[in-house]
Amino acid sequence: MRFLISLAWKNLSRYRKRTIITASAIAVGIGIYIFFDAWLLGAELDSERNLIWYETSSIRIMDSQYWEEQERLPLDRVVENPEVVIKMVEEMNIPAVPRIRFGGEVIFYKDPYEQDGGVPVQFIAIDPERDDRVFPMKQTLESGKYLKSGKMEIMIGSWFAEDIGAEVGYPLTIVTRTRDGFFQTIDVEIAGIINCPNPMINNGTIFIPMDVANNYLQMEGGVTEMDMSLPLQADVEKTAQHIEERLEEKGINNLVAKTWKDLAQDYLAIAVQKRAGSNIMLLLVFIIAAVGVSNTMLMAIYERVRELGMMRALGMKDSQIRIAFILEAGGIGFIGSVAGTIFGSLIVYLFSTLGIDYSWIFKNMNVGYRLTGVMYTVWNPEVVITAFIVGIVISMLIAYIPTRRALKMQITDCLRNE
Amino acid sequence: MITLREVKKNYQAGETIVKALRGVSLDVDQGEFLSIAGPSGSGKTTLLNLIGCIDKADSGVIKIDKEDVDKLDKNELALFRRRKLGFVFQTFNLIPVLTAKENVAFALHLLNLSKNEIEERTMSLLKEVGLEGMEDRLPSRLSGGQQQRVAIARALVKKPAIVLADEPTANLDSDTGRAILELMEEMNKKHTTTFIFSTHDQMVMEFAHRLVQLHDGQITKDERRN
Repeated sequence: MRFLISLAWKNLSRYRKRTIITASAIAVGIGIYIFFDAWLLGAELDSERNLIWYETSSIRIMDSQYWEEQERLPLDRVVENPEVVIKMVEEMNIPAVPRIRFGGEVIFYKDPYEQDGGVPVQFIAIDPERDDRVFPMKQTLESGKYLKSGKMEIMIGSWFAEDIGAEVGYPLTIVTRTRDGFFQTIDVEIAGIINCPNPMINNGTIFIPMDVANNYLQMEGGVTEMDMSLPLQADVEKTAQHIEERLEEKGINNLVAKTWKDLAQDYLAIAVQKRAGSNIMLLLVFIIAAVGVSNTMLMAIYERVRELGMMRALGMKDSQIRIAFILEAGGIGFIGSVAGTIFGSLIVYLFSTLGIDYSWIFKNMNVGYRLTGVMYTVWNPEVVITAFIVGIVISMLIAYIPTRRALKMQITDCLRNE
Repeated sequence: MITLREVKKNYQAGETIVKALRGVSLDVDQGEFLSIAGPSGSGKTTLLNLIGCIDKADSGVIKIDKEDVDKLDKNELALFRRRKLGFVFQTFNLIPVLTAKENVAFALHLLNLSKNEIEERTMSLLKEVGLEGMEDRLPSRLSGGQQQRVAIARALVKKPAIVLADEPTANLDSDTGRAILELMEEMNKKHTTTFIFSTHDQMVMEFAHRLVQLHDGQITKDERRN
């Protein structure tokens, strides 16, 4: 065996050009694979974090009817006594805050705006004193100030502000319906502009103080949801189930606890599709690399058919010859895998610190990811190890086929081969 | 040592069947220095290939060292060739990535000998064929004659019963060819190894101690010389 390894190694160093070209094809394939995976993983992790931190929270408690009709944001399906529930959840050491989510339109007029207009948006009423226990919105404030209870002020996303030409201090009129379905208008002033990393928030969500919304929407203390924050790695399903059990124990049967995965099914569906699409692309990259390697190995084996015939004539068994050629291909795979891993890891490292700025895409197009600007790659050791091993194994498998074909030739034909 | 009885071999060349050997019978004793001669297409390479167990006869019997080689399977034939037969090819067929020493040692590695024995036997053979000091050269840095010497050393190093050489001097100039034949003759005497070589060169035929003439796949002359 040692002799076969030594022979394979000598062939690798002797046919240096071929080794380098083939190993480079493998290295590029593996490098792209590692980078692509790290890029996708980074996008997925950042998206999930931005989704949980700014959009859905980890777990949301709401009325079971509200959950079924949530598309139309019904204000008549509310939780009447949120503080009882919040207290119960906080006893479980889980921070929780109330929110009212409602739909409507913002109307703006020429001067100070450039032109008259109206845009349908989603409003979220928050308790400014405690909302940041769950949603770190305060940290995303770009200009102006954060909301204060009792003030007729709102906070809007920077992209939305840019779209309508709004600045801090500009007035806006909210047109919506009360809990009972009557039209209501609320005149407010823009207190702050946030630059939220979640495009759904940055593009069309307006925040308003809870007491103002409660008063104008005639909510009588009712809220549409209570949002909870858990560590990102927490088992949200188990906790949600536990919360529902506690609610039932307390005799509250009309509420449901939904995890961020339930709330963001649209995102998860898109993420799965993207992953599948990307995997197909990665498979294509691998196939291209494999075809390159296969072609080179094919040429390498066929140009050495006479040598192969001589080895067989001298008494080398077919299995030994097969091992020698497979080891040689494995050596190329190993060199390519090492280079590819280094190449891929370097790019991953580079973009994990520099990031890739995609704000120009996310701003104008909803691509599903909850990202607004810079995407960072995330190192995934499992994928690196897998790609490394796959690079070697595929090279060896590819060498097997032409070797097998060459070994099917008669020794005399091999020796005659030019 | 070698017994061939009514050996026949046909080849398919397109739609035509070429009768390469038409019932050849031959006996070769241990230590013979035999040349199979004949014009191109006479069947000498086919005969050599059959004795070398790298091709199979269509009919007839081939016995080498009392072993009916036609009854051996692929792996058994490989082991048989490994132990009993040495080959010298017209185009030398050295492994280009191995040095002269490594090419010679190649045959011994297949026999799983100890490192010391491989080293000792390899160096001794290289000295015998006159390549002392050139053992670390790659084939590309050796002349045709030197490469054929390496090939002879590779064939002999495992102490085979028979060395088969297909037109061993065809790619060499006449002086080098003569030197190679002298070397083969010397090795034949020294090691009592049977040498069978094919040729159509008159000079090579003159070296042979026994000359077997083939024509159209049949032995037309079998002449022993002193």
